[in-house]
Amino acid sequence: MTALLHITALSLKLNFRNRMAILYGYLFPLIFLVAFWAIYRNDPVPLALHVGQFLTVTVLGGACFGLPTTIVGERERGVWRRYVLAPVPRSTFVISILAARYVLLIIAALLQLALGLAFGMPLPLHPFDLWLGFSLVAFAFMAMGMVIAMLVGNVPAVQALGQCIFLPMLMIGGVAVQLESLPAWAQHIAAFFPGRYAVDVLQASAMGTGLTRLGFDFLALGLIGLAGSIAAAGMFRWDRSFAPNKAWVAVALGIWLVVGVLAELQGRITLQTAQDTQDVGTSRNYMASKSAPAPETSWRDVTDADYDKIAFNHLPPDTGIISPVSRADEVPDPVIVPELDRIRDALPAWAPGNVADPVQRTRNLLMLAAVPDILQMEQVERFVPRLVFARLQAVIPPRDLPRILYWIAMHPDDGDDAAIHQLQAFGLPDVTGPGKPARGRIMLYAFKLLGRLTGHIPPL
Amino acid sequence: MSAAIVVQGLTRRYGAVMAVDGISFAVGAGEIFGLLGPNGAGKTTTLECILGLGRPDAGRITVCGVSDSRDARARIGAVLQATGLQDKITPREALDLFRSFYPKPVATDALINRFGLREKQHAAYDTLSGGQKQRLALALAFVGDPQVFVLDEPTAGLDPQMRREVQDHICAMKEAGRAVLLATHDMDEAERLCDRLAVIAGGRIVATGTPKDLIAGSQGSRLEDVILQLTARS
Repeated sequence: MTALLHITALSLKLNFRNRMAILYGYLFPLIFLVAFWAIYRNDPVPLALHVGQFLTVTVLGGACFGLPTTIVGERERGVWRRYVLAPVPRSTFVISILAARYVLLIIAALLQLALGLAFGMPLPLHPFDLWLGFSLVAFAFMAMGMVIAMLVGNVPAVQALGQCIFLPMLMIGGVAVQLESLPAWAQHIAAFFPGRYAVDVLQASAMGTGLTRLGFDFLALGLIGLAGSIAAAGMFRWDRSFAPNKAWVAVALGIWLVVGVLAELQGRITLQTAQDTQDVGTSRNYMASKSAPAPETSWRDVTDADYDKIAFNHLPPDTGIISPVSRADEVPDPVIVPELDRIRDALPAWAPGNVADPVQRTRNLLMLAAVPDILQMEQVERFVPRLVFARLQAVIPPRDLPRILYWIAMHPDDGDDAAIHQLQAFGLPDVTGPGKPARGRIMLYAFKLLGRLTGHIPPL
Repeated sequence: MSAAIVVQGLTRRYGAVMAVDGISFAVGAGEIFGLLGPNGAGKTTTLECILGLGRPDAGRITVCGVSDSRDARARIGAVLQATGLQDKITPREALDLFRSFYPKPVATDALINRFGLREKQHAAYDTLSGGQKQRLALALAFVGDPQVFVLDEPTAGLDPQMRREVQDHICAMKEAGRAVLLATHDMDEAERLCDRLAVIAGGRIVATGTPKDLIAGSQGSRLEDVILQLTARS
């Protein structure tokens, strides 16, 4: 035990004397964090929806590069050859180097979380779950790092092999690039990488509902860690002159295949296509007949017969990423509840939502639903429309609201869109650029609320 | 003189290559026993088997009467080729670390003083000279206050002054009643330090005896000539 503590403590001390180790171990994770913050700067809650991603990057980097570089470097120098001459169980050296790496990963993660908090990220909701999930992810990835360390013979080879795992996991494994942003084929491939399960576990622990609903992800990471550990033990070598039996790699990678197949067979790979930025078309796209509707001169001329001309079934589904609307029984993630409360509280006093012209007032309020949708504000975008619909029903007379909604849907380019720059009261960013996409979403939400009011779509 | 190291019928193969082929010898307490032979003769493989770094295919090894490799390692202090330390570790830290591996270690300060490391005790390993690194290697071998020393070419690459210093430390080991197994290429060193020698060639011991006996029993007048004759013959 004394030897274990001594080696662990010394490994940590030596790590802090190594500039490159500090650069890779601490600076890079912080740079990744800042990058996430910059990329998702329009998120309603800074970084809160990306904790799983940036923590996974840290563990993955430590596993693919930090751990094997240390082990292979020391093995090359004959440090381990010297260690094993001591009358200490050899497992002591392996455990201590893993323990030191685990502590280093924890420190890096704490630094990331601290910087995240400074950027406005809320405190993790489930600290114990986060620690547990982080430990499991570390176990899975460090086992992978041990496989790399046993497989390669020198430090440059660690970099080469590490990049072969690190970069694909980042780009198409659901770690740096969100799964939703990936094409369908990549989302299927991501199921075979441990990265996506790590992100799920860490995100749910930090900002979601905890680990209780993540049995499969837990199992996947556990199996990947176990298989990696077995493979690394099978290939273990103290001395670079010993050749490892590379057949063990099949055990480590085989479990990735098993996990991916299980995920596919169990239907856990839900595909979402990234179409959110595409043009949603004009109102004609949502009419039963392609012929132009009879022109009205005022929203007051709209009749019930006009509503029947709309093909409500052409509208994007509420469950999609274009103009989404949450289900009536859907409970928001706890992390976005404060944000939703803030919007609900700010709505009555919001000046654009109280202008005299009821059409412009409606258009302005629909803007509040449209902007989070454009910005793909995860989860928030699904619940804000419900708040907007409720507010519209409170401030627009029931007899007028369907006609105004129809009018807006038919004339999305009319009126003023200055309200897009007055959303800071809700904690939403000031959206710059052309207002056309927002007007398209206003049209869709007008259609969707109209459909609910007229009975063409099931009510909220 | 009781035997501190006993090697009987040691055999070690690497694939089709027979690195060590049934060699036997014993080293007594207070004795320096030299292993001589050309590169690839099997010297290092023999030492590695004694230290538990390699597993013999056949034969038996006991150190101070113990055959279990881990128990044996507690009784051995070793200086091997191709071993090193982390670049940024200091001599004091290395000694403190290795002390934690042994039940009754020698005090760090005593080792630092004995091996002249006082000035460099807080210097990073990668800033030490070759001689200072070798002093540290010897100090680490002494940490566990071992009964047996296994030294693989401990003076290789050192300047004459440092070589003599290391040789003096080896003599001191003998005077303290320790058994020393020394593999070397340096004939002068072998002749000066070793009580007995075993000449290895092709994985086998081709001759054993004191340096004087080996010289007397051959046509050469110098140990180097004797070794060349013996290894060429084999």
